[in-house]
Amino acid sequence: MLNNFIVAIIECILNTALELDPTLSDRLSSIAQKRLLIDIRDWQQQFLVVFTGQQLHLYNTTEQQFDCMISADIQTLMALKNPAMLTQLIRQDKLDLQGDLNIAQGFSNAFAALNIDWPEHLSDYLGDAAAQQLWQLVKQTQQQSQKVNKKLSTTLTTLCQDELKVTIHPLELEQFKQHTRQLKAHVAQLELRINQLLQAK
Amino acid sequence: MNENPEKTTHFGYKTVAKTEKASMVADVFHSVATKYDVMNDLMSFGIHRLWKRQTIASSGVRKGHHVLDLAGGTGDLTAKFSQLVGDTGQVVLGDINSSMLKVGREKLHNLGLVGNIDYVQMNAEALPFPDNSFDLITIAFGLRNVTDQNKALRSMYRILKPGGRLLVLEFSKPEHQVLSKAYDFYSFNLLPKMGELVANDGESYKYLAESIRMHPDQETLKAMMNEAGFEQTTYQNLTGGIVALHRGFKY
Repeated sequence: MLNNFIVAIIECILNTALELDPTLSDRLSSIAQKRLLIDIRDWQQQFLVVFTGQQLHLYNTTEQQFDCMISADIQTLMALKNPAMLTQLIRQDKLDLQGDLNIAQGFSNAFAALNIDWPEHLSDYLGDAAAQQLWQLVKQTQQQSQKVNKKLSTTLTTLCQDELKVTIHPLELEQFKQHTRQLKAHVAQLELRINQLLQAK
Repeated sequence: MNENPEKTTHFGYKTVAKTEKASMVADVFHSVATKYDVMNDLMSFGIHRLWKRQTIASSGVRKGHHVLDLAGGTGDLTAKFSQLVGDTGQVVLGDINSSMLKVGREKLHNLGLVGNIDYVQMNAEALPFPDNSFDLITIAFGLRNVTDQNKALRSMYRILKPGGRLLVLEFSKPEHQVLSKAYDFYSFNLLPKMGELVANDGESYKYLAESIRMHPDQETLKAMMNEAGFEQTTYQNLTGGIVALHRGFKY
């Protein structure tokens, strides 16, 4: 039931996108009523997507009836944001595709070109000027966070590389262990000898 | 009251003549029709929508299919099926109760769903369609109100096309004892009070709770479907068995 609930929320989000970007419906019209089955391998779940002309329907299903099926892990599916990757991923055996390739490409192309005019929609609630300013602020924050992310990533990479330089090699560690074992043996011999000398006295 | 089991049936916990049950059930639904959707959301905390989603996900319905949404009430399933079967398909919203059909028709018209939906008042025990007419039949929360359920299942089997499937979404028996106790308390103490407050009809919701307890459990219903001729019959418990989705095929 939890799966169903999450899928219902995602379906609701998709349909909101459909309302906010009127051109999305036109882009999907060529694949209306075609059933795309998405098999997410690492989740072991299948999802059926259908555009009926009015709405997008998304179901978590075990049915094997489809016009096109994509089977891949979640990371590979995320890479499909770029529709040009589709053929490349099939060639790399990261993605299985059965049925009509045009359906998968149709969905991928339609969502890749998603363009919601947020200032326009927000202006209904905030007015034109405030909506525009808010949108610019969001964009700036997004750019800033991307910059910070990139910087953090670079710093982390540099730190890791520096750390790698000072970290001892496994062979060195093995050599150190060997020396320690030899030293331990010498100390034991010395102790034995001292004890013998003390007894001889 | 004649106690001959062949001439009587249950209406909730009461035993009534078979000939009377349909009209008594009809009275219940005439009474609650206008508040049906609100009460469904309220009573199930909205979970009935997820149960219905699961039904659609298990339906295998596609463009061009002919679907019968039996006891379809206010048309929740019909609304989805109408879009999924497209212009070349057809959905029949069937219900024995004219008030429910009227509410359903109005609701679907307001949603802009016209063109591929027929509204037919019908008795599930004698479905007015030729043999092998439908690709899919669904009956959601309706079978327990039918007087002769075996006869209704046979009637559904007759009008299904070979390869077609029947989906029965119905209240059933909770799998765990603790859930069962909590569910009993909710059904017999809170549900009639909610019905009284919202729909001004506590008796109808008392009948609802009683009729659920009198309905066959998961395995019994599965056996009944097999008896009617369905094959590959399976069921899926939803929300711990409070509701079960039975599926059977005609080959």
